[in-house]
Amino acid sequence: INHIVHNGGLYKRPFNEAFEETPMLVAVLTYVGYGVLTLFGYLRDFMRQWKIEKCQNATEREEQKDFVPLYQDFENFYNRNLYMRIRDSWNRPICSVPGAKVDMMERVSHDYNWTFTYTGRVIKDIINMGSYNYLGFAQKAGTCQKAAAKVLSHYGAGVCSTRQEMGNLDKHEELEKLVARFLGVESAMAYGMGFATNSMNIPALVGKGCLILSDELNHASLVLGARLSGATIRIFKHNNMQSLEKLLKDAIVHGQPRTRRPWKKILILVEGIYSMEGSIVRLPEVIALKKKYKSYLYLDEAHSIGALGPSGRGVVEYFGLSPEDVDVMMGTFTKSFGAAGGYIGGKKELIDYLRTYSHSAVYATSLSPPVVEQIITSMKCIMGEDGTTVGKARVQQLAENTRYFRRRLKEMGFIIYGNEDSPVVPLMLYMPAKIGAFGREMLKRNIGVVVVGFPATPIIESRARFCLSAAHTKEMLDTALKEINEVGDLLQLKYSRHRLVPLLDRPFDETTYEETED
Amino acid sequence: MNVGVAHSEVNPNTRVMSSRGMWLTYALGVGMLHIVLLSIPFFSVPVAWTLTNVIHNLGMYVFLHAVKGTPFETPDQGKARLLTHWEQLDYGVQFTSSRKFFTISPIILYFLASFYTKYDPTHFILNTTSLLTVLIPKLPQLHGVRIFGINKY
Repeated sequence: INHIVHNGGLYKRPFNEAFEETPMLVAVLTYVGYGVLTLFGYLRDFMRQWKIEKCQNATEREEQKDFVPLYQDFENFYNRNLYMRIRDSWNRPICSVPGAKVDMMERVSHDYNWTFTYTGRVIKDIINMGSYNYLGFAQKAGTCQKAAAKVLSHYGAGVCSTRQEMGNLDKHEELEKLVARFLGVESAMAYGMGFATNSMNIPALVGKGCLILSDELNHASLVLGARLSGATIRIFKHNNMQSLEKLLKDAIVHGQPRTRRPWKKILILVEGIYSMEGSIVRLPEVIALKKKYKSYLYLDEAHSIGALGPSGRGVVEYFGLSPEDVDVMMGTFTKSFGAAGGYIGGKKELIDYLRTYSHSAVYATSLSPPVVEQIITSMKCIMGEDGTTVGKARVQQLAENTRYFRRRLKEMGFIIYGNEDSPVVPLMLYMPAKIGAFGREMLKRNIGVVVVGFPATPIIESRARFCLSAAHTKEMLDTALKEINEVGDLLQLKYSRHRLVPLLDRPFDETTYEETED
Repeated sequence: MNVGVAHSEVNPNTRVMSSRGMWLTYALGVGMLHIVLLSIPFFSVPVAWTLTNVIHNLGMYVFLHAVKGTPFETPDQGKARLLTHWEQLDYGVQFTSSRKFFTISPIILYFLASFYTKYDPTHFILNTTSLLTVLIPKLPQLHGVRIFGINKY
């Protein structure tokens, strides 16, 4: 299913994105599952209150019972009655670098996950499908590691100072020039934390009197940055261009809420790949809309830099567009480069402004030199400037792995969300019990996966999320697929009826309600 | 903000009642309750209908109008902590489709119960009072109102 016809030639390649609708029977059974869990939760709370069952949670002391309670215990209901039961699928302690394979410490619980004890055994060589290791740079030996070790002995662990005071090293300038060259923009600036890059720089770019149009499923860092800025925030439906256009039109026609003055700036916040859905932003249409309505675009390429595009330059290269169309290109070094931190790239005036006015530049410590060296080495590897074709091979391997894995899972009959080319693969589980069961069964078969449920996702859309890596060989993927097939048969997860509902053809209704802040 | 969460929805409780399949599940749940009550040999048909109506309204009152707050922590700094689920629906916007559905369904159940009890006076009083306990809190004028301070904190 491609939408080239719909969009008059904006897309140079087919855009295959689909989110199969939840089968009605599955939705009903999911609600029944949550209902049963809620009723049992009330029963257990009742037994705990009347001392029939021992209360394992922290409670107030007897002397404090007359004071106003600090926390409402109903807010902890979900945590103690649902999350605690399947808690062993999260926060698993590992004891090796999280590459394509990882070693995990085995732990058992004798009181239904309230406490864990380590058996002392280390489960070796678990296939790691949960780490954001898209190009496989999470290694403990190799050229990146050697270079970083040399820089560590030369520069030390870091200057504990901000960029504007004493923390600016020549390594940082080298990194920023390299990042600007990699992205194809005029200038770039690097920050110590990816989250802080978003949350501290959006307030520097927009303020009161500006409008932010943000996607429904934007990451918490973008949401925090938007809220901290003081601008008006309006949310458009996920990847839905009609919704975005309607909001843009309304904003320009009606202006600011009460005064009807024109907006100072309109900033569209989108992400390259949305990590929970596996969908890729419709960048050609967003850029066309941005140009038509003269607004600005902030693109967060946290997951797509290094992972998309024929040479790993991100979602802009994937669609064959020019980086000059995107006003602010933001990304992180955490996922594809095996390091930490974030960057913002754009025109020189913009980056010079951010060097002065960004909160991170003034108050936050700069990147640590070994980390900078890791980024520099891995980026040079991807660009091919280190003299080998390792980088290009990795990017191609990731693309092949993605296509192969998604095709095989779809053929098996699972419901997979997202775009055909995104290395993030959400597999729908739906029912609350299957979340815990899937996580545990996969661990028994030596595969580590990430499972997510309500309230992190909508109530009927709990999922398991696979993150593919260039470090996964075809044998590893085949093993993983075989085990997923077995677990899918065991847990009856093969819901797909191969009736795909592409996002554009979903009926666009305006009935969503937002929390209005007066 | 919603750390570790994949959307910018401040309070997911507001969307639960309008998500896919919820209305069908609710209708099936009421039907199941009624079938269970009809299967008990001691209850005649009018008693079973009145019991369905009363138990359904009791459940609806407890879960929609008595329990306050959310069973998980929300990043809205406690705005919804003192609100019942009915008041949280759709962030307080009145006359949305899920509100209309949940207002109409006890009324339909009341009609059916009145019909099957042949308008007997005792059953009528029981059914009407239980319908009123579930309809009055749904009025938009009673949004956020706590009579005599009951259930305020």
